[in-house]
Amino acid sequence: MTTDHASYLPVLLIVLMAIAFAVGNIVLSRLLGPRREGAVKATTYESGMDPIGGARKRFNVRFYVLAMIFLVFDVEIIFLYPWAVSFAHVDPRSPDGALFLGRVLFFLFTTVVAYIYAWRKGVFRFE
Amino acid sequence: MSEKLALLHPEMVLFAATCVVMVLGLARSAVWRSACAWLTGGALAAAFVLALRSPVTDGLFPHFLAYTKAMIAGVALLILPVMSGTVDRWYERRVAKGAAFDALRVTRGEFYAFFLLSVTGVMLCATADDLIWLFLALELTSLPTYIMVAISTPRVRAQEAGVKYFFLGALAAATFLYGFAMLFGATGSTSLDAITIQFRGEGLSTIATLGLVMALVGVSFKIAAAPMHFYTADVYQGAASPVSAFLAFMPKAAGLIVLIQLLATVGWSWGEAGDALPDAIRVALWVIATLTMTIGNTLALLQSSAKRLLAYSSIAHSGYMLVGLIAGPGGTVARNGLAAAMFYLLCYGVMNLGAFAVLASLEVRGRDGEPAEADAIDDLRGLFRVRPGLAWAMTLCALSLLGLPPLLGFWGKLVLFTSAIGAGEIGLVVVMGLNSAVAAFYYLRLVRASMLDERDPDAERPIVTEALGRRLAAGLSAAGVVGVVVFASTLQSASHAAATPNPRYDEFLKVEAPARQSPPAATPTARHN
Repeated sequence: MTTDHASYLPVLLIVLMAIAFAVGNIVLSRLLGPRREGAVKATTYESGMDPIGGARKRFNVRFYVLAMIFLVFDVEIIFLYPWAVSFAHVDPRSPDGALFLGRVLFFLFTTVVAYIYAWRKGVFRFE
Repeated sequence: MSEKLALLHPEMVLFAATCVVMVLGLARSAVWRSACAWLTGGALAAAFVLALRSPVTDGLFPHFLAYTKAMIAGVALLILPVMSGTVDRWYERRVAKGAAFDALRVTRGEFYAFFLLSVTGVMLCATADDLIWLFLALELTSLPTYIMVAISTPRVRAQEAGVKYFFLGALAAATFLYGFAMLFGATGSTSLDAITIQFRGEGLSTIATLGLVMALVGVSFKIAAAPMHFYTADVYQGAASPVSAFLAFMPKAAGLIVLIQLLATVGWSWGEAGDALPDAIRVALWVIATLTMTIGNTLALLQSSAKRLLAYSSIAHSGYMLVGLIAGPGGTVARNGLAAAMFYLLCYGVMNLGAFAVLASLEVRGRDGEPAEADAIDDLRGLFRVRPGLAWAMTLCALSLLGLPPLLGFWGKLVLFTSAIGAGEIGLVVVMGLNSAVAAFYYLRLVRASMLDERDPDAERPIVTEALGRRLAAGLSAAGVVGVVVFASTLQSASHAAATPNPRYDEFLKVEAPARQSPPAATPTARHN
């Protein structure tokens, strides 16, 4: 395959569009937006709650651990879905079928190990 | 596809052990917890045996897997004893005294599991035949090491080093992934064989060259080479010495293997001369190698910390190995630069481990009265009076790193020199010779501190840690530096066999690679519409 520079034209276009979108929005809001100053305008959430305390508060580490466990299963589902869709089209007589199934079982097995680890580590204990 | 599984037996054993070790480290019984290290050792030994029996492939380097994987498993077995007592030492002592066991507080299982995962990643780099596989294997090598650095010691410095290493590692990964994407864009395939065919037929396009250079620069992070070497000293100093010893070998081995895999797509198999790397790539490598050697050796001269000194020395050694890659494969043992680099990697692994193991065996009393790791070169002073064995181990390893004739490092450097001369790279040979001479100064500082200098009478004496494994590893490496010399020619011919291009590679490419370019049969097309 020779490098056909014309085939990169869409990439160039999308880069230009991205720049135009970003710059255009800033310029437009400068030109069109109303300008009001004041104490209420300067708050963190202009039309929301009044913020209490600083943002550098310490959170319980369990939030992070739980988020990570969620990620394990979340990512697993993302990978399982395309697999399940393609599995329906695998010819059951072809030798690739077993391999196709074996791969996903191996993948599920690694998740189970992660689950056992998290359980033994005491991640699911909330006292 | 399924026949590829036969190539992966060592990795499978290591991965199975990883799964067990990870959960075993959380066992309630201290005996089971301490079994983690033994199980890791057993898995590495099994992987070593399986690696030696790796099947011959029909790719460019048919015997590559056996030598490479056996070397990785072998050096990992040597590194393992240094790891003893790295994590959980104080916690286990408290539990032994009757404190309640809390699974959240132990990190032993994770530590050894990450050790095994990282070694698995290095082996997968050697088996890889695809850009995506290469990327995943490289990341599998590196991701566990970031955590190993952070948990290696409870000091803040280790966590700082871990974060630094992680962010710079992510930058490097992004760089070489971008390079891989460009290679894919230029050739339309991620299979290394298909890319080779493409390059042979059409030559390198501008985008392919750019992609390859970016990939080289990104991978140079793993081997701590010039444009990406900045993290090395901080990370090696911040991590506990055993983990630094690990970092100085495993990611480096992975990087070197990936460089060989990538460069093989553009050269070496093309002509009989073996020096057919395209000019742009050759110049890029030349610049990287020269800069790496010079920066590493020059900055090592200025250090007062032994760990930083060894970090800069490891940068310099990466430069030496790159010289072998530039020389390329030749017909004989003395002229095969790839084999020289692979053999040097083994020598470097043994002698560098010895130096780190001596440091890991020593503790000094810090300002706060707590025992801290030996770090400064001054901490080694008077070692000969206290522990002559450790002083000898440090001396032998430092002299070997310097390349003094009867020791292992000399034989490694010798083949690098002869292969570079054989390839006509006289300029590089001169740079490397000058650098080796400069290196003598700082390696001899280590020797002088441990053998000749007296300790200040009012300074604390270095304390030897209770972790017996560390002294064992120091002793084994020192013995290796002297003893492996006997097997040097055997190992050199093994590395030569591993890095000899397959004469029937052209036929393989004609038959095999076009088939790989088309999607496999099991992949569904838009049939359901």
